[in-house]
Parts: sequence; structure tokens; C-alpha cells
Amino acid sequence: MIGEEFAAVLAVAQDGGEAAFSVLWRDVNPALLRYLRVIAPDAAEDVASETWVQVVRRLPDFRGDEGAWRGWLFTIARRRAIDEARRRSRHPVASLAEVTGAREPGTADAAELAMEKLGTAAAVAAVASLPPLQAEVILLRVLAGLDTDSVARIVGRSPGAVRVAAHRGLRRLAQILSATGVTL
Amino acid sequence: MPIFPWSAPGDVPPVGDPAFDALLAGELPPEAAATGLRPVAAAIAALTGAPSASELAAEAAALAVFRSEVGRSSEPVRSRRRRYPVLTSLLSAKLAAIAVAATVTFGGAAAAAFAGALPAPVQKFAHDTLGAPPAHPAHPATPSGPKGSGPAAHGLCAAYSHVKAHGSAQQKAVAFRSLAAAAGGTANVTAYCAAVAHPGTSPTAKPAGQPTSHPSHPAGQPTSHPSHPAGKPTSHPAGKATSHPTGKPTSTP
Repeated sequence: MIGEEFAAVLAVAQDGGEAAFSVLWRDVNPALLRYLRVIAPDAAEDVASETWVQVVRRLPDFRGDEGAWRGWLFTIARRRAIDEARRRSRHPVASLAEVTGAREPGTADAAELAMEKLGTAAAVAAVASLPPLQAEVILLRVLAGLDTDSVARIVGRSPGAVRVAAHRGLRRLAQILSATGVTL
Repeated sequence: MPIFPWSAPGDVPPVGDPAFDALLAGELPPEAAATGLRPVAAAIAALTGAPSASELAAEAAALAVFRSEVGRSSEPVRSRRRRYPVLTSLLSAKLAAIAVAATVTFGGAAAAAFAGALPAPVQKFAHDTLGAPPAHPAHPATPSGPKGSGPAAHGLCAAYSHVKAHGSAQQKAVAFRSLAAAAGGTANVTAYCAAVAHPGTSPTAKPAGQPTSHPSHPAGQPTSHPSHPAGKPTSHPAGKATSHPTGKPTSTP
């Protein structure tokens, strides 16, 4: 998160300032990639670069604070992920749940998880093993830093449903992690 | 941080428990979490861990896209700038203050910027807005430092006086903090700015490549050149030093 300097950095980036754009990019690209590793597992880098192309094209017209910026960017990413899944699959894809539902929930790689100190990749993998909605909601709350209402708008559910999905995901995560013996 | 109690320490609370909301909001670190939730809290902390090199590898490609779509070389951006010169000059002053304040520590920020010791994108930012040395890994960063007579001082003093005239109270506070840090204390600020020499005559200030163009940056920065805040092509080493002698108005304070 950039914080109170966000408005100034955004303005300079919109005006063509490369250094300012770098600040925006470095601030959010790692979170974007981690999100995409879960919702578009075989295409994370491709979808990320398509996302940035869209973002850059529409950058001068963007208006909003940092929360709106992240919501906007992750919404674009989500749509690109669905489009990419449609491109790769022979069957029409109706929702993100269909894309990510191919994974079996709960079968996280135990070797990855049984680490004394949980690394980022292992944490992402653990979340990736959750049912699709739970995984996505947790990532949008934690990685994108979005509040429940924003996440609800992005995934097309009610805020209550989003909160329940997040809580269920965290409970499941707790059970997975303690089962594989992860300690601090 | 509060500990959220429930029936047994190793248990996981039910759906709806405020501990989960706290975890999602990033307000429950592992050390504050009850036993059953510590691994989840650790996972959440790890999710937002520092970026790896591979996660930052595509920056050059992203910048290339940016350059072609929004970059300074495109006409519409330039005309937009001409329409709002006050806004961009105010922004440049704000950014001059922010670029320094936003780096490592207040005390070391200006020194770091002018020793060329900041991470590349932030150094470039400081370079574009303050006339700090460019983000050039090859440069053994002459420690010109925020001396009273250096280009850094001029930038900080100019940024502060501009913000004092046109900025908000918060901008003033940020700019003054940076200036005070560079001057080595709020009491030294007046003397520091008074000692600032006119730029454009410091051949020792910069290593090879960008001699005279930079000392004149800070002078023009907040007041005269609307195109500067966007960090003008002058940040590119190739042949840019030649553009200043050909009459850019930045040399007149």
C-alpha cells in the first residue's frame, strides 16, 4: 500500500511520469501475481501482463483513492482470468468457480506446508487448495486489501456471503495447517 | 491486541467469530493469535510478505507498455500539461517533498537521495523531481550530500518555499520536515537556505554524464517548468545534457 502519497503518485503517473508508474507497479504487482496464481494457475504471468496493458490504457481516465485503484485493477485481472480460461478451454466458462473448481479442495502439498516458517509461496499454495470462492475472497481481502463490500461487488455475492466464505476458508486453512504440523 | 477466547486453546472458532475479521483486516498478527489460529495468522502474514525477484521481473516490460501508451513523448499528455500548469507545478513541489520524505528515514532521506543510494525507482523519482543524481548503478555516487551549497539544498528550499506559497498545511509540514532533516535541525533551516548558491556552476557536483543540466533542475523545478514533474527526458543519459544550454528557462530562479 502506498498510503497518503497515493494521490500524488497517481497524478504524476497519469501525466506520464515513469518513476511514479514504477512505484504503482511495484506496489501492487506482487499481490496481483499471487492472486492470479490461485485463480489462473497456469496463466498467471500472461494474465498479469494483459491486466497491466488494460490498466495502462485506461490509466489517464482513472479517478479514485487507493482502495478504488486496487479494486479496479483486481477487477480487470479477474475478467482477464476468465477470458483466458475461456480461450484455453473448449467449453464455455460461466464463472470463475468453474475455472478454479478443477482443483481438488483440501489436497495441499503436505511437503510444501510442513515448514517451520511459512513462506509466501507455501501460503499461496495453501489458499489455492481451498474451494474457489473461499480462496478468492480471502485473497481479495488480504492481498488486494479490499473491504468486504468491495469484494462482494467484484465476486458478485452479498457482503454476508463473502464474510461467511472468508470465515469458512480461514477455518479450513487452520485445520489444514495444523494437520500438516505447521508451527511458528 | 486482544486475544479472542473460546472453549479450548487449540480449537478453531466458529464462523462469525471476530477473530476471523481481524485476521482478514490484517489486525491479528501470529503472536497475538490464540494457539489454534496461529498457523492461519502466519499464513496471512506470509501472503503479504515481501516481493520476490521473480514477482518484480516484468517491470521493464510494463514500463515499455506505459511508455508507449501514456509516456511523455505522446502529444496529448503534453497538451494536458499545458492546460494545467499550476496543478503540475504544485504537484512537482508536493512531489519534491514527498520524494524525499517517502524514502528510508527522515534523517537519512535527503542524504540517501543525493548520494544516489536509494532503490532505483525511488532514486529516479528523486532525480526527476529534485535533481538528485540519476538512478545509475555505475555511478560511484559522489557524496555531494545535502550541503548548503549543493543542488539538493536548492531543491529542498525551493520546494518548501513553493509549497509555503501554494500548498496545504499538510504539504507544508511534509516539505518542512524534509528540509529540516537535510539542514540538520529546524533551527538550521534559515541558514541552510541562505547558504544555497545559485545552481548551474557546480562542475564537481555530478559524475560524468549529466553535468550542467542537473544543477539547474531544482531552480526551475517548482516554478517555471510545467513539464518537469513528469521527469522529462532529461533523466535519460543519452544526449540530454545538451538540451539545457539551448535555452530552457530553468536556469533563471
